[in-house]
Amino acid sequence: MTLLGLPFGTLAAIFGGVAALTTVLYILKLRRRAVAVPFARIWDTVLRDKESSELFSQLRRWLSLLLQLALVAALVLALGDPRLGVMATDGRNIVVLMDASASMKATDETPSRLERAKAEARRLVKGLGVSDRAVIVQMDVLPTPLCTLTGEVTELEGAIDRVRATDTRADLARALSFAADSLRGLARPEVVLVSDGALAVPDTPALSTLPVSLLPVGKTDTNVAISEFSARRYPLDKSRVEVMLEIANTNDRPVDVQLTLLGDGVVIDVSRLRLGPNERLPRFYSDIAGASRKLEAQLALASGRGDDLPADDRAHALMPERKRSRVLVVTRGNTYLEAALLLDEYLDVSYVAPADYPPRESFDVTIFDAVAPPRVQNTGSALYVNPPAEGSPVPLGKPIRDFGFDTWDRRHPILRFTALGDVQVANGFRLLPEKADKVLGASELGPILVSGVRSGQRFVVLGFDPRSSDFVLRPAWPLFVLGTIDHFVEEDTGYLSSYRTGESWRIPAPSSAESAELELPGGSKVTVPVKEGRAAYFGDRAGFYTLRSGSAEGAEYAFAANLSDLEESRITPRRELEVGKKRVALASAGTPGVRRRLWTMLLLGVVVVSAIEWVTYHRRLTV
Amino acid sequence: MGILDRLRKSAPRPAAARGRSLFDDEFQRKLEMLALVSRRVFAGRLRAERRSKKRGSGVEFADYRDYAPGDDFRSIDWNIYQRFSRLLVRLYEEEEDLGIYFLVDSSMSMGFGNGKKLDQARKLCAALAYVGLANLDRVTVVGLSDHLVSRMPTTRGKARIFKVFEFLSSMEPQGRTDLTEALRKFVAQHKRRGLAVLISDLYDPAGFEGGINVLRYNKFEPYVVHVVDPADGRPDLKGDVRLYDCETGEEREVTVTEALLKRMAEALANYRAGIEQFCTSRQVPYFPASVDAPFEELVLELFRKGGFLR
Repeated sequence: MTLLGLPFGTLAAIFGGVAALTTVLYILKLRRRAVAVPFARIWDTVLRDKESSELFSQLRRWLSLLLQLALVAALVLALGDPRLGVMATDGRNIVVLMDASASMKATDETPSRLERAKAEARRLVKGLGVSDRAVIVQMDVLPTPLCTLTGEVTELEGAIDRVRATDTRADLARALSFAADSLRGLARPEVVLVSDGALAVPDTPALSTLPVSLLPVGKTDTNVAISEFSARRYPLDKSRVEVMLEIANTNDRPVDVQLTLLGDGVVIDVSRLRLGPNERLPRFYSDIAGASRKLEAQLALASGRGDDLPADDRAHALMPERKRSRVLVVTRGNTYLEAALLLDEYLDVSYVAPADYPPRESFDVTIFDAVAPPRVQNTGSALYVNPPAEGSPVPLGKPIRDFGFDTWDRRHPILRFTALGDVQVANGFRLLPEKADKVLGASELGPILVSGVRSGQRFVVLGFDPRSSDFVLRPAWPLFVLGTIDHFVEEDTGYLSSYRTGESWRIPAPSSAESAELELPGGSKVTVPVKEGRAAYFGDRAGFYTLRSGSAEGAEYAFAANLSDLEESRITPRRELEVGKKRVALASAGTPGVRRRLWTMLLLGVVVVSAIEWVTYHRRLTV
Repeated sequence: MGILDRLRKSAPRPAAARGRSLFDDEFQRKLEMLALVSRRVFAGRLRAERRSKKRGSGVEFADYRDYAPGDDFRSIDWNIYQRFSRLLVRLYEEEEDLGIYFLVDSSMSMGFGNGKKLDQARKLCAALAYVGLANLDRVTVVGLSDHLVSRMPTTRGKARIFKVFEFLSSMEPQGRTDLTEALRKFVAQHKRRGLAVLISDLYDPAGFEGGINVLRYNKFEPYVVHVVDPADGRPDLKGDVRLYDCETGEEREVTVTEALLKRMAEALANYRAGIEQFCTSRQVPYFPASVDAPFEELVLELFRKGGFLR
């Protein structure tokens, strides 16, 4: 017998103390209850008879004391956690990888694959040997240990209960690396993978040395999915939306599906489609009007029966709320500029002559047309068009003639939808940007379009008068002007692809904030750091999120996150896996009840004996 | 605080108050019924015709004795003198309305167990006294413990029953039982002999025999009404207890078991059997009266058994 709890010496000391206390309490005469009788002489004759049996009473008293001491001994021994059989050092060390990826939400098992996996894991844990130790690791895109390496079944079962399925894919390679690190140097290492096998199998040879076994779950694989979902407002008509989505059939047989598109909860489009085996079908919805906020796509089997993984049958996108931007134009008159600003109905434009600058009101954006007066705080970000040398945030270099845009940043929000390759400019100036400034466009003679920050205020400088070029005659001109304003007020007209789960998100936030509060789909809230106007968060759940960074206007930003992972939508269960070209064996769940824990038996014995003594005492059988 | 004080404090309400409620209208109607029944049972008897053992000037021959100077010559039986040459005087039983003494034990043991024994004793005493008063007997009620606690003056006539009620109602359980000492004082104070009805539980540490013998030896006609509470023989006790006598405070440490309770019940039954045997062997009428039995049934049974009224 081995003691896994307190050592024998300590147990002996505890028993000695408790036994002495028990004996003292036994010897001490308890104060008896006083009871009046009408005629005590009658009792004398009775008590004289009883004296003859006093010897038996004494013997019974000693037997009772011995019984009490035996109960104390049993309790003290239970503290030592005695085990019969092998020594603790001979046990296995097992890492149980619980697949918690999105495919484990599949309902082909009742109630889900994850619950089935938990049941298998519990059977495995109950079947552990006396000296075995295990750790439960939740395996999704990141491996997360839920307990320490322990032999306590209750602790392991608690960890199994804490496993939650996420809307991410499972990274088996990373989980196996974690398991290898955890088991390094330990005797008899084992890795048990409880999974549906819908995993990206690593082919790292180093991992093939791990003794990995698989506890498979999952039965069927009927599933269709929305694998992509994006939406954007049109740059020149932000009341209209364009949607791109992709649906996929992950089965080896054709399937009829019904695709529904909803805007703010109202059905916009319903279409019935046939998907071939393993077919991916992109769909575009252009010129959608009426949806100002929320777009949702729903996919269902045309038969009306649900597929096995409902998690990938819906996708959402939240459009940023439109807001009216206040724009100040400081100009002596510029028809082309005024024309470009007329194209956006959400702009609140004010014109002032240079002599009337600075204004009293506050503005989001100020456009300086051929002027560069000193900046004031209430004029927001600035677009300088052909600024004079004095006052320009970017120093002007030598005058240049007959040039164009030879290079430009096509990915920058200001120039994203423009074609500037054939713009011809008669004359202008070469700009001399500082190190921190960003050159957005340049001719071979030097930079002509630069953005940057001065005194905390953002600016864009165009180094020539557009009226001395054909820039104003092209569609690129209003796109440039409006794109610059949108960039300043952070109203994106690009594709609002919903965030994809299982990735680190960089969520737009006010530049001045250092942290923000993120409300998760379940309603719980977390605090996330903000750096350079972006809040960082690793998202593992699909649904709607809201980021709040203070009470100022524009400090709240809502967005959606979707699974959108075709690999996770492929839920075909696999009973055969290969890790590093080595086939993974199937694990046995073990036989429940092989762990003989004597302390429970000891406690049970004490309870039973105490109950018997209680009953017999109160029935006056043992007094 | 002493044991006796504790016991007194634990009493639910004063015995006097409880005693008053005992003799309500219902009780009085029952007494009237008992008096009628007693007249039917003893029909044809004259008033005050209880025969005393006192020899006197009656008409019914009782015995002879030798003549002594000063005796009435008219009582000398001259026929005997002719035949045996001895002067013998004829004795006659004197007829008189002799007294009935009700000796009610009011010790602490009679108040034990919610005072049921004392209540039963009061009711029995009141019923018998009513019958006695209705027969124009001289009735005296005495409360006793280890001394004479109280005494109701001798009275006669049915109308005086309320005085009896009042006296019995004022009786409180107190003191320890010593029948010998108390009855010695009783006989010393009451020269006129008569029927002495002792109503008691007979829990006398010195022995119940002494008190009864004192009555016998002083030519009273003792009549023992033994008030019995069956609960005394089956106390609700379990486990380790410290027993104390409600009168003397004597203590005994006992571990009560079912077997012990059984032996206790047997011992109490033997004690009661001993009392009955004592009384029977000495021709003292003995009547056990359980507190659980209706008192009117007890009274009628007592009449049927005889001895109380002749």
